[in-house]
Amino acid sequence: MAIETSNECMSVSQAKALLKHGVECRGVSDDPPQFQVGDVVRAKVMHPITYTRLPRYVRGKIGTITKVHGVYIFPDTMGQRLGTKPQYVYSVRFAAQELWGPDAASKDVLHIDLFDDHLEAT
Amino acid sequence: MAHTHRPESDIALRVKAIESLLVEKGIVDPATLDTIIDAYEHRIGPHNGARIVAKAWVDADYKQRLLADGTSAIAELDLTGFSSEHMVVVENTPQVHNLIVCTLCSCYPWAILGLPPTWYKSFAYRSRAVIEPRKVLQEFGLDIPDDVEIRVWDSNADLRYLVLPERPAGTAGLSEAALADLVTRNAMIGTAQVPPPEPPSTLAA
Amino acid sequence: MNGPHDMGGMHGMGPIPIEPDEPVFHAEWEAKVFAMSFATFCNFFPVDETRHASERMPPGDYLSSAYYERWLYALERLITEHNLVTPAEIEQRIAELAPGE
Repeated sequence: MAIETSNECMSVSQAKALLKHGVECRGVSDDPPQFQVGDVVRAKVMHPITYTRLPRYVRGKIGTITKVHGVYIFPDTMGQRLGTKPQYVYSVRFAAQELWGPDAASKDVLHIDLFDDHLEAT
Repeated sequence: MAHTHRPESDIALRVKAIESLLVEKGIVDPATLDTIIDAYEHRIGPHNGARIVAKAWVDADYKQRLLADGTSAIAELDLTGFSSEHMVVVENTPQVHNLIVCTLCSCYPWAILGLPPTWYKSFAYRSRAVIEPRKVLQEFGLDIPDDVEIRVWDSNADLRYLVLPERPAGTAGLSEAALADLVTRNAMIGTAQVPPPEPPSTLAA
Repeated sequence: MNGPHDMGGMHGMGPIPIEPDEPVFHAEWEAKVFAMSFATFCNFFPVDETRHASERMPPGDYLSSAYYERWLYALERLITEHNLVTPAEIEQRIAELAPGE
């Protein structure tokens, strides 16, 4: 379902409301989250020629779910006005050495927020 | 920062042309543009984040709520807003140092810290913060010991991040407002620590 | 898309350009580009469409442009793709506004 916009000029009061309240980016899904805190997951290897919030440096890497943030509108489809495709977002922790190899500090980690469509079970 | 390959005057002229067309066609309202610019130039800035940090330093219950659910704890202070709709607050401790980045663009908690500084938007920071955070922090004058864990947060989705820095020593008697004055923007991104208050000059040796 | 915007882990970008006491905007055009883009958010373009538009900048241009130049590119690309303004109208207006011609 393509995203339609109002195409109306933003008034001063609309701008003030947007500044104060922001954009609604939460969504609703009847499905349970695919993953739980503690699950070990792999960021998918994929190379869409369109918009994605899954950066290359985590693709194919193994991480751990540390938080289930809830259901959000999917930017990868919103960026192309294709639809909201609401789904769960997770904070995923990757060891720095998993991402960058043995030269990275052994203690260091990286957290990134990934969507259901970005992840697969290992 | 990237060097512009077009003269600034050409860019400014192009912007002026686009602005005049968008206004003429009723797509943007000049009063709305003024409202937006005024908000980010004069009203929204790191002082908002500093209030949150200072409150967490003096109010243990608030700190607990802030770390458990940043969004609602920040809403208690009425500091909601665009690009800060969903907030996660991460705490620096003697064992853990947090650092915020957005590698894909420059996502940043605008309502809490204002618009990001040039360094945060730079290609150097976006590319290097994830692969060599310790070297990046050294350029900010921060040497993080090897036994401290660095946690980098790449804010690529709709969540926005704020670092709760460590409260500096020598601040036991300070009011919440005085504490807020000590908190710097960079400390809330993770590229600085909050310095202790300057000693009164009369005590200088 | 595997564009230059996806720069986590890239090498060669140099030292972090730390600027003390920098202003929110460095020039009026930056403020105007920002405000015009903000004023199109949601009403005309979802925020992610604007992000995607800046990523569609040709890689060489992306890497040699400053932050608000990339915003300008995204704004111009979206208003022309959605037929709100034509490229010819923009060029004509630039010619009209150009000083001393």
